Amino acid sequence: MSLATALSTLANYRSHNSRASQDVFDKGSVVLKSGATKKLGDASWDFLEQLALASIDVGRLDVADECIHLLVTKFPESPRVDVLSGIRMEASETPDVALAYYDQLIEVDPSSGALWKRRIAVLRRMGKIEKTVEELNQFLDTFYNDVEGWLELADIHATCYQYTASLQALSHLLLLNPQNPFYFLKFAETAYTSGDLPLALKMFLVVVDMSEREDELVKGPPRGIAIRAWFGIKQCSRRLLANPNHQSASHTATPKHLNLIEELSTERILAAYSGKGVLGLPAVRQWLGRV
Amino acid sequence: MTLTPTYSVSHQAYLKIFFHAAKHPHKPVNGVLVGKPSGESGAVIVDAIPLLHNWTSLSPMMEIGLDLAGGHAAEQGLILVGYYQACDRLDDRALAPVGERVASKLREGFKDAIAFVLDGERLDTGEAALIPFLPAPGSTTVWNRVSAPPEPFTAGSSFRLSSEHSPKVAIGFVRDERLHQKFGDFDDHLEDVTIDWLQNKACMPSAE
Repeated sequence: MSLATALSTLANYRSHNSRASQDVFDKGSVVLKSGATKKLGDASWDFLEQLALASIDVGRLDVADECIHLLVTKFPESPRVDVLSGIRMEASETPDVALAYYDQLIEVDPSSGALWKRRIAVLRRMGKIEKTVEELNQFLDTFYNDVEGWLELADIHATCYQYTASLQALSHLLLLNPQNPFYFLKFAETAYTSGDLPLALKMFLVVVDMSEREDELVKGPPRGIAIRAWFGIKQCSRRLLANPNHQSASHTATPKHLNLIEELSTERILAAYSGKGVLGLPAVRQWLGRV
Repeated sequence: MTLTPTYSVSHQAYLKIFFHAAKHPHKPVNGVLVGKPSGESGAVIVDAIPLLHNWTSLSPMMEIGLDLAGGHAAEQGLILVGYYQACDRLDDRALAPVGERVASKLREGFKDAIAFVLDGERLDTGEAALIPFLPAPGSTTVWNRVSAPPEPFTAGSSFRLSSEHSPKVAIGFVRDERLHQKFGDFDDHLEDVTIDWLQNKACMPSAE
């Protein structure tokens, strides 16, 4: 592999936030050894940060230390480098040591959201769930736009079976990102888990609406996230048809033509499995009741 | 006298659990075990079917995945005999609440259903990195780590690997051939239905 290809792959991972740590490490350490970082100009600092994180992921702390050393020399006071040093510390030190490190930095610079988030992550890892939720709520009061923060809060609540609280956190995400079907999908699945099937159904339908254009709906099989949503629609409508007196905690109405929605979901799922190289059709047909 | 249930884990099942965890080291993953009853009690675990890695605490895709995996097992004359999970933290070796729920549900279909948690600290040692969990005496919903000696997967234990080399072989496949990168679960399949989550033939070495 040429250096240029390696660099372009790495840049691509950075812009997509991909955590392909092993690949980043393999390609990145070649770049680092070749000394090509100097030629990268300002992009070299992003690269070093990326390689440091990947090296921590794959357990090569020596390479991480090399990168961090270069970054600290260049940016001695940078909060971003402080965060990186903290993550490196979390890899080898006890949570208490990492926590003390973040506390001391936050005292100096209380406005650093990134340091605050690391601190919250360490608290969660230590199993201090109440404290984590409390801090996370405070954090989100200050940094309302922080998508990761809301996702984390929703996840903690869902793990503790607090689905209403989880849905509340997710509804902030929907307000912040009304174009992202992924968050609607997560909302739908959380609503389903909480037992609110009409709400889940409505949200699964929103996901389909967002991810399938009308002409695609007529012509081609569902793809990507829409497949998952159609499975969700099938599951919700089937359960609602079996139990028409289902109560919705959010007072969401059940669609009138539920049987048609169910039928459509069956057709869409079968369409998804109609393509070439698709496996597992027998089990799916059986699940759909179309043996 | 009650017979101690015995469990054996096939080479294929061990590899799949290991690959699933190796592919998503920073996420919790889970799946189900496929097999048949072993003699009077326990199970012969023939295969593993990987379910989720996106999020494991929500139920709809879990329910659907379980149904599909059960249907696939039945086609081969097998049943679902257990559940497995791996955590995103090496030092976390507890069976998550969702695991207890799924495993308890599997018990309704198979009385000796078992749950395994992947032991993060043993992944690279070449020993069997599986921690067995069974329901607490008298309970159907609370699961405890199997603690009675001898230690699971050692001589005389009622847990054994069909091939004692599975852990070492699995490490080799991940380190040298990166086979885990071809591995797909139900979450992957729900985005791209050409992904072979039920069998994962692409990353199973043929000579076994």
